[in-house]
Amino acid sequence: MPDPATAGQAGTGVAGAVAPATGVAGTGASPALLELDAVCKSFGKVVVADNLSLAVGEADLVGIVGPNGAGKSSLFGLIAGDLAPSSGHIRFAGKGVTKADAAARCRLGIGRTFQVPKPFGAMTVFENVLVAVQQGGGLRGRSSYAAAVEVLERTGLAADVNLPAERLRLLSRKRLEVARAIATRPKLLLLDEVAGGLTDPEVAQLAGIVRAISAEGIAIIWIEHVVHALTATVGRLLCLSGGLIIGDGEPEAVLAMPAVREVFLGTEVTAELRAAGPVTGPAAVSAAGREPV
Amino acid sequence: MTWVNAVIQGVMLGGLYALFACGLSLMFGVMKVINLAHGDLAMVAAYIALGVVTITHVPAVWSFVLVVPIFAALGYVLQRTLLQASLNRGVITTLLVTFGLSVVIENALQQFLSANSRELNIGSLVSDSFSIGSQITIAYLDLAILVVAVAVLLGLQYFLSSSRSGRMIRAVADDREAAQLSGINYRHVFGIATAIAFGTVALAGLAYGMYTQFDPTTGTTALLLYAFEAVVIGGLGSLWGTLAGGILLGVAQQVGAQYHAADQVLAGQLLFLIILVLRPQGITSRRELA
Repeated sequence: MPDPATAGQAGTGVAGAVAPATGVAGTGASPALLELDAVCKSFGKVVVADNLSLAVGEADLVGIVGPNGAGKSSLFGLIAGDLAPSSGHIRFAGKGVTKADAAARCRLGIGRTFQVPKPFGAMTVFENVLVAVQQGGGLRGRSSYAAAVEVLERTGLAADVNLPAERLRLLSRKRLEVARAIATRPKLLLLDEVAGGLTDPEVAQLAGIVRAISAEGIAIIWIEHVVHALTATVGRLLCLSGGLIIGDGEPEAVLAMPAVREVFLGTEVTAELRAAGPVTGPAAVSAAGREPV
Repeated sequence: MTWVNAVIQGVMLGGLYALFACGLSLMFGVMKVINLAHGDLAMVAAYIALGVVTITHVPAVWSFVLVVPIFAALGYVLQRTLLQASLNRGVITTLLVTFGLSVVIENALQQFLSANSRELNIGSLVSDSFSIGSQITIAYLDLAILVVAVAVLLGLQYFLSSSRSGRMIRAVADDREAAQLSGINYRHVFGIATAIAFGTVALAGLAYGMYTQFDPTTGTTALLLYAFEAVVIGGLGSLWGTLAGGILLGVAQQVGAQYHAADQVLAGQLLFLIILVLRPQGITSRRELA
């Protein structure tokens, strides 16, 4: 059976391969799509965002790594509107969105996936995507159906459209999570550990989908514990720890920073990374790079 | 033949119960709100209809044209204000708030409209009927209520399963956090769901007011319990189940009444208890709404 994911990737083919290179640009010349200005957030004594400032340009492909509790998912919560910052400002596409709720930010163009997929279980895969296209993407009628079909084909879910989402396996659930996010026609896509728990070929497939999305000019921020998948795909890497950005730049450079190495020191991830040197592609992803569950 | 008649009467009574219960079922299915003021709200609708008839002199049968939209609007506003505020504070708070609402409504009705029994006067339609054979008599009103109930439940089911807004409601019922990431303002959807529920409870209140006499306490003494039983027998959150539950309850009551008039209510409660023991998830265990 021809794999729909790789087929989808082939459609945007060459562009997908150069996406990491284009990802580095954006923050400098063009105005930033997303700006966080001195954003603070803590839960009791746990600080998840410590005076955090960050700019992401249009069509950037940014990866985020960091130890557990570094504030990675919370950062997504702040950007997507699930969490309200205790201070600071968030701007998106030239508008202040600090006070806007998650639904409003979604309609403005911020798409997000959850670390643990949250499909509408009793609804079919098609309906899951259709709701996102109609409500988040603002399409109606026939054009919304066409858009939903297109998204499903692109994410390799075409065979499962009429299945209730609760019957999907993990890979398909992760794909549906991505499908629903891009169905809202985002300008910025927040991917929260979409590769977690998948096998190596599955991770490679997902990375292919991500590159294809990026090639369309959608900015992406991708949190991932499977560091290899990230370094092979993104053009810019952030390392988060204790609510602070302790590294920001080219993936290889960031992973070589002393502060970053200190955070990761002793874990399998860095040990193996340093041993392996520069990673060439998704094929280099190995089980050792995955966080123990 | 008397048994056949009892079953037919039961089915028609069940239609009324199902009409009462579907709003309850919808609010639970979408928001997990158990609305203890449901029965009283039906009575408020009946009293509003009385007012509408008195002021505008439209026939009582047509009062729904005004009362249902009024109630739907009331439902939306109530959800966006009082009920949403209570939902933000937890499930128990919501239960207490609807209980409080029930007490307030009942006492306000008694205070301002007296405890006297009223009815929506629909002239001879209340007793007009046709006969099949010598034993079976079907009242036009009862049949009309059953038809309305089935139409409302079928329509609602179709709306939820196949329309843009219906999918939006189901998505919120499934996972409101994920629904937000699909661009859905769940508070607005909660408002819409409550508006629909209030529309149906208004219809049920009007139907009851035409069917028999009512007073300010009818909502809690007669209606709320049967509506709950219909929902539980049918299976929580399932509209098909609610229709089936209402009809089963009606049939049980009418068949019970064949033994002795006093056994009518008892038979219904027995069926409810048997279902609770043997099939606590209700006769339709599939989740159709959520």
